[in-house]
Amino acid sequence: MSAPRVPTVIFIGQPNSGKSTLFNSIAGHKAETSNFPGTSIKHTHSRVNIEGRLLDIVDLPGTYSLCTTDPAEQIVLTHLFSERPDLVVNVVDASTLSRGLELTLELVELGYPMIVALNMMDVAERKGIRVDAAAVEKLLGAPVTPTIAAHGRGVKELLERAFEVLNKGQSLRTLRFAGDVEEKVAEVERLLPPGFPVISNPRFTAVKLIETAGHACGDFLGEVEPGLKETIDRVRRAIEERRGAPAYEVISAERHHQAMKLFEETGRVLHGKLMTWDKKVDAVLMHPVLGYVILAAVFLAFFFIIFKVGSPLESLLLGPFNKLKEALAARLGGGLLFFLAEGLIQGVGGGVAIVLPYFLPLLFLMSALEDLGYLARAGFLLDAFMHRIGLHGKSISPFILGFGCNVPAIVSTRILESQRDRILTSILIPFIPCSARTTIVLALVAFYLGPLWAMGFYAANILAVAAIGWVISRFLKEPSPGLILEIPSLKAPRLVSILRKTWLQVHSFIKFAWPLLIGGSLVLSLLSYFRADRWINDILAPLVVKGLGLPHELGVTLVFGFLRKELSLIMMLQALGVDYQHLLTAISREQIIVFTVFISFFIPCLSTFVILWKEIGKKWAFVSAGLSIGIALVLSWIVRLVL
Amino acid sequence: MNLVNAPHNTPLRIVDLAGGEGVRRRLMALGFHKGDIVELDGQAIFRGPLLVRGCRSDTTIALGRVVAQKVLVELVHERS
Repeated sequence: MSAPRVPTVIFIGQPNSGKSTLFNSIAGHKAETSNFPGTSIKHTHSRVNIEGRLLDIVDLPGTYSLCTTDPAEQIVLTHLFSERPDLVVNVVDASTLSRGLELTLELVELGYPMIVALNMMDVAERKGIRVDAAAVEKLLGAPVTPTIAAHGRGVKELLERAFEVLNKGQSLRTLRFAGDVEEKVAEVERLLPPGFPVISNPRFTAVKLIETAGHACGDFLGEVEPGLKETIDRVRRAIEERRGAPAYEVISAERHHQAMKLFEETGRVLHGKLMTWDKKVDAVLMHPVLGYVILAAVFLAFFFIIFKVGSPLESLLLGPFNKLKEALAARLGGGLLFFLAEGLIQGVGGGVAIVLPYFLPLLFLMSALEDLGYLARAGFLLDAFMHRIGLHGKSISPFILGFGCNVPAIVSTRILESQRDRILTSILIPFIPCSARTTIVLALVAFYLGPLWAMGFYAANILAVAAIGWVISRFLKEPSPGLILEIPSLKAPRLVSILRKTWLQVHSFIKFAWPLLIGGSLVLSLLSYFRADRWINDILAPLVVKGLGLPHELGVTLVFGFLRKELSLIMMLQALGVDYQHLLTAISREQIIVFTVFISFFIPCLSTFVILWKEIGKKWAFVSAGLSIGIALVLSWIVRLVL
Repeated sequence: MNLVNAPHNTPLRIVDLAGGEGVRRRLMALGFHKGDIVELDGQAIFRGPLLVRGCRSDTTIALGRVVAQKVLVELVHERS
């Protein structure tokens, strides 16, 4: 006999409700198997052991409602509807309870066993909001536990209530809409054809059929159930005629009023105690002048810290790997074994010593800014500028991250709710000079041509990014929906939750990117063992020599550059057979610029390509690669002609 | 009157959400419905977004101008 089935528990909540913090505080230290992200951005799940009982817990992205046109949020619906969970944990921000309850009411309509975590009770308290959890519980028929996830408070009680429901089941109390709407819902419910794929219960299915956007199921229904499609269209029209608003708006308004009523019955707002300091801080952070000064200071400090932490860490970590390589060279000589060992060390070393030193502090600081709620404010301040390149304020934080390392930057595009914006931002990020490319620009352009050239190079690079963004956004059919961004209340970030968040992301990166880095490194070592670099140079010669006017030997460095950008510099010197000080004896200043331009715009590195593939899919990863090769060629060719 | 030309720091009642279905749905999902009372709390430079606070739920959202134009409002005291 197989072991008893492990119950699945899904965490659902509106964005900024502290859902992931709560999830991490349960998954973080009790995880039996490690946490791993779903196939793409979908979800994080973890198997945990709580006092001897196993649970599969799933963290879904934040969603404002169960009736969404937003692609990122639709993932939640797909998951919720296709994999029927044993329990839903609805995380609600108590400080914005009346809005959060709208999702809660939808979940009650859905009717899966559920419990409610009334989270951020401390913030609510500060705002002067008192909520009677027992009263909410009575009205919903679902257990309601007050929690402060950031401090781990209430988590134990929440889990106890979870097991209670898992063991005994529950009976939820679905609130009814106004009579005329309810009548129409019942009509659809009655006319559901036998065998129709009912989600959870007929009433919920009927409500969703009425309020879901027409295109979502219209075509499907028209083909499969023409009769039902007619019924729904008729019901929608009837509601619209009666209420003078589209059916989806009527149902949403019904729920809105139910939620407000529920809040009035269970909560109290003490007006004397509004949190004035938060408002004052926000008035400065989003001030038309001071806001931008602070923004600039924050990001300068951000880079400063990352470089201050990253570069010493990098040299510290690279040292042992270089020594190991030397030791192996002495031991193994120049045979195949040495090449394989070298490839392995290069791969592991690249992962550990190049990526991690910048990656770790970046993720850490980013989590801190995110938890604080500052990123939303930065997005608000910079929205107007981003509109020029077809994006809006939310894309700011991924771009900023890109200057450190493109990989976490692309990961962070997950915060964008529209798929269009995610793709456009992810395609632009590889053109942002990351720290590795900055190193090359400094080493080649600043050293041989002067710091002004390097600065000009940087400025031109950013202009190029803006221009590329402007052009690509003309090709993306759907327009950017415009900025609708929640500004969450400021919260003091908690070290534990930041560390947990950082760890989960680092871990998923390691698991995903390292095998590829190491594999790629081994392949390149084998290539050079079999002297394939010569053939590569010959194959690339028309491009490298004729097209770009660079020495024949540099062809292979472009391939190595794909693996890791810093390698291009080292390989360039190796290929030309000169040391750094005497570079100008082998190539000219103009050739240095052409080479740097090409290396800067050419596919950033294998890790970036892989993360693009993972985040926005194979198709776009290849589009991005093609685009970078094309742009690198065109720009370096133009530079060659101009100089 | 829409949110772009409405006065700041004064209670405003949403009389209608114009614009496409996507925008309306999004605003409603964020808790902004017809009949709700909101206040404008600030704006960014260069015709940047507006800060809109829902008075009841005490949630603040930033709305780009294109979106803000589609939120039609009236002064609360006009009706009372």
